[in-house]
Amino acid sequence: MRTPGSWRRFEGYAFVGPFLLLYIFILVYPLILGIGISFHRADLFGARQWVGTENYARLLADPVFHQSVGNSLKLVLLIVPPLTIIALALALALNRPTKTAAVFRGIFFSSSVLSVTIVTLIWRFVLTPDAGLVAKAMQALGRDPIPFLSDPNLTIPALAITTIWWCIGLPMMLFLAGLQQIPGDIYEAASLDKASRWTTFRRITLPSIRRTLILVVMLQTAAQLQLFGQAQLLTAGGPSGTSRPIVLYIYEVAFGRWELGYAAAAAELLFLIVLAVTLIQYWAVTRREPER
Amino acid sequence: MPSLELHDIRKAYGDTLVLDGVSLTMEACEFVAFLGPSGSGKSTLLRIIAGLETPDGGEILLDGRRIDQLPPGERDVAMVFQHYALYPHMSVRENMSFGLRNARVAREEIEARVAQAAHVLEIEEQLDKKPGQLSGGQRQRVAIGRAIVKQPKLFLLDEPLSNLDAALRLRTRVEIAQLRQRVDAALIMVTHDQAEAMTLADRIVVMNDRRIQQVGPPMEIYARPANSFVARFVGSPAMTLASAVLLPGDGSFARVRLGDGAEVETRVVASGLPADAPLHLGLRPENVTVTAPEAGTTKAKVELVERLGDRTLIYARLADGLEVTAQDEGDSRIRLGDEIGLRIDGGAAHLFGPDGAGHHAEPAA
Amino acid sequence: MSAGARRTGLSTPALIGVIFGAMIMVAPLIWTLLLSFKSNADLMRDSATAFSGPYTLENYGAILQGSQVFRWLLNSAIVSLGTTAGVLILCSLAGYGFARLEFPFRRTLFVFVLLGLAIPEQAVILPRHQLFAELHLHNSYPGLILPGLVAPFGVFFMTQYFRAIPRELDEAAMLDGASRFKQFWKVLLPLTIPAQATLGVFTFLGSWNDYWWPLISATRSDRFTLTVGLASSQMNYAQTSGLGFLMAQAVFASIPILIVYIIFQKQIVRAMAGAAVR
Repeated sequence: MRTPGSWRRFEGYAFVGPFLLLYIFILVYPLILGIGISFHRADLFGARQWVGTENYARLLADPVFHQSVGNSLKLVLLIVPPLTIIALALALALNRPTKTAAVFRGIFFSSSVLSVTIVTLIWRFVLTPDAGLVAKAMQALGRDPIPFLSDPNLTIPALAITTIWWCIGLPMMLFLAGLQQIPGDIYEAASLDKASRWTTFRRITLPSIRRTLILVVMLQTAAQLQLFGQAQLLTAGGPSGTSRPIVLYIYEVAFGRWELGYAAAAAELLFLIVLAVTLIQYWAVTRREPER
Repeated sequence: MPSLELHDIRKAYGDTLVLDGVSLTMEACEFVAFLGPSGSGKSTLLRIIAGLETPDGGEILLDGRRIDQLPPGERDVAMVFQHYALYPHMSVRENMSFGLRNARVAREEIEARVAQAAHVLEIEEQLDKKPGQLSGGQRQRVAIGRAIVKQPKLFLLDEPLSNLDAALRLRTRVEIAQLRQRVDAALIMVTHDQAEAMTLADRIVVMNDRRIQQVGPPMEIYARPANSFVARFVGSPAMTLASAVLLPGDGSFARVRLGDGAEVETRVVASGLPADAPLHLGLRPENVTVTAPEAGTTKAKVELVERLGDRTLIYARLADGLEVTAQDEGDSRIRLGDEIGLRIDGGAAHLFGPDGAGHHAEPAA
Repeated sequence: MSAGARRTGLSTPALIGVIFGAMIMVAPLIWTLLLSFKSNADLMRDSATAFSGPYTLENYGAILQGSQVFRWLLNSAIVSLGTTAGVLILCSLAGYGFARLEFPFRRTLFVFVLLGLAIPEQAVILPRHQLFAELHLHNSYPGLILPGLVAPFGVFFMTQYFRAIPRELDEAAMLDGASRFKQFWKVLLPLTIPAQATLGVFTFLGSWNDYWWPLISATRSDRFTLTVGLASSQMNYAQTSGLGFLMAQAVFASIPILIVYIIFQKQIVRAMAGAAVR
């Protein structure tokens, strides 16, 4: 104000500058660097050789990569739909102002605050066939223990169950918040109209939480495509890669085989997949939203 | 010595001009109201005086000191905001002393001033409460107190009555009138309510369309509106403006004919009026009275009757379609749809030229 | 069904479902707790002995004595608190800047920051690892903290929060002679405390539980965070430590975060509500 148009115009940079500098240094620059590395044959120790799109070509022909993409998609399909439905059901059941409901909400959310290592530690000794809780329960029933973590047909479901157990809290809370946005008088109107429970749910509840529903599916799909810790710690991707998701593949290529360029290319492809899935879902939302 | 001086203040937002060369001089301790419809530039002008907006051109002086280059806190002005703008996380005491602490006033001095203001405003009990614990009226007094303790040379009040209910509005009017007595400083109040401006201010600055339309004491604004905008905006219900034609005559006062043929003898000096130009006759409701259909200046049909108890307002339509507001006794028997006569008191009527400029009756000798 | 019944009652099948689900949630936790109180020798024989005594504190004693868990706990606390403090400072400053100040390219820069929300960690983690290696930041606290400080969501969240505060308050402070920084620090910032709590709890949880980055950045065991440390002992549990000891570690490591969760439950729920309404 003292001297209009001088440094005061740039005063804002004093406030946004620190964040922006870090943002560029730690997010934007690596993003660009990563794209660059993906076009190189590069190892972890700085050797670089330009190879153009060779890494991408190799990846698209790499059966191990294909397998990991397939595994990730399987995981998404086994996790996201059940997770969404269970979370919604819980939210509907627990959306009431009683103490009991609050306690249950607390129980279902509690696992979400645990780290992936604690979760896998717990579930390893629930699932493991020699000492696990499930095995002991089967034993008590006189059955053979199930080899969850070594049978190629069971490893992905085991990862899915562990993940659902771990992640149920967040979507449930999101649904609860969404349900609380619905004005109560709509329900009163519906009950005056003698709408059945199912009709009320389909015609009132579901449309009202549409945005939340889509948010949950989008967030979870993006998150589960990037599933990593559970697979690394519970099954190590085994047996023979049958439970290795994309991120574990990237990790192994980068830090096991030291092929940084190749791993970076795989990471860029994953980025594209996540982006595409998110955009498709976003497009689906905005396209079919006539009323709001 | 003049208190506040504005010289040719200009302000535009992008291509939109909001103030077009506004100048004004205020006397010491004067209470001025900026009156105008929303978008007239009155709030912008207040914010420019406060330093919350930067003018594109012009000068502002307060007690002879140029202030338009100074930051808001150094201008010796205090402002009472429309929604009070009390700091919610500070106690009343902290709210009132914040500005003084920033100005590095001595601690004892701050305490003394806060205590004094709290005493005068009767908010001593509230000093350690947070604004959220106060009633609307108490908050308003804290906001006033926060301004008082700064002992500014100029108080700025931004629509102080606009978001209050009717009862509190009346109380606050009293509050502001008292504030005026208590402080040794000039005051500016922004308002869109002409009744507020009329009751409180020494002088009213009527603003419209980026410019000052008229400056004057309330009764002058009412009795001698500078132009048709001021005439319509000040006074409730609004003045009737009727198209009129000047009749040739030898008298020194103008005679005009209305659209329906009725003729009115005014006490406006004819020589000051533009010849052969369309005029408007301005009639306040109290200058139009109801008579028997054939006895008045003209005839009209009643469209709305508003009974106020002490008087009755009649909204009627002349034969040529013109709407006229007239006044009748409190126990008027006029009813909707009645055919009535209207007696126009030409001696109190105003005439407005084609440019809107007002011409007023010579005071009766 | 009346509105009143909807608010309180729960039908029997629904109640059974909820209780069954809750048991699935709780059973692994109880199992872990039981295992942690059993001697390793007992568990070697048969882990089902966990359902009956004798119980012992020996595993917890072992943690207190010599394991690196304390070191990892300390590392986790430093990294998480450092990250949380950093995020709150950076996001508050940036949020205020974007919400209240006019400067060249403000809108463009804000969109630029929001685009960051769409970038998954995988797209940057390998090159960032390279970058930090060149700068010798691995196995250091700054190396573990810095990536967590880049929180575009936090900036968005704080910007929205600042925008919701009436501008009259800033203006009143200006007339009260407060400098720009004072307006921010004394007048607006105290009003954002609820937002700070929400953002802070989330940042803390996220940082405490982060696995991918500390796994590749901290390679020396004395630089491990708790998450990475537990992973390392988990992988070679068969050789080194017993099952009971491992479970005691899990319980021990969960305690701080569960305490945080219990204290800040309200903020967590409020944050959820905010995220969903968005």
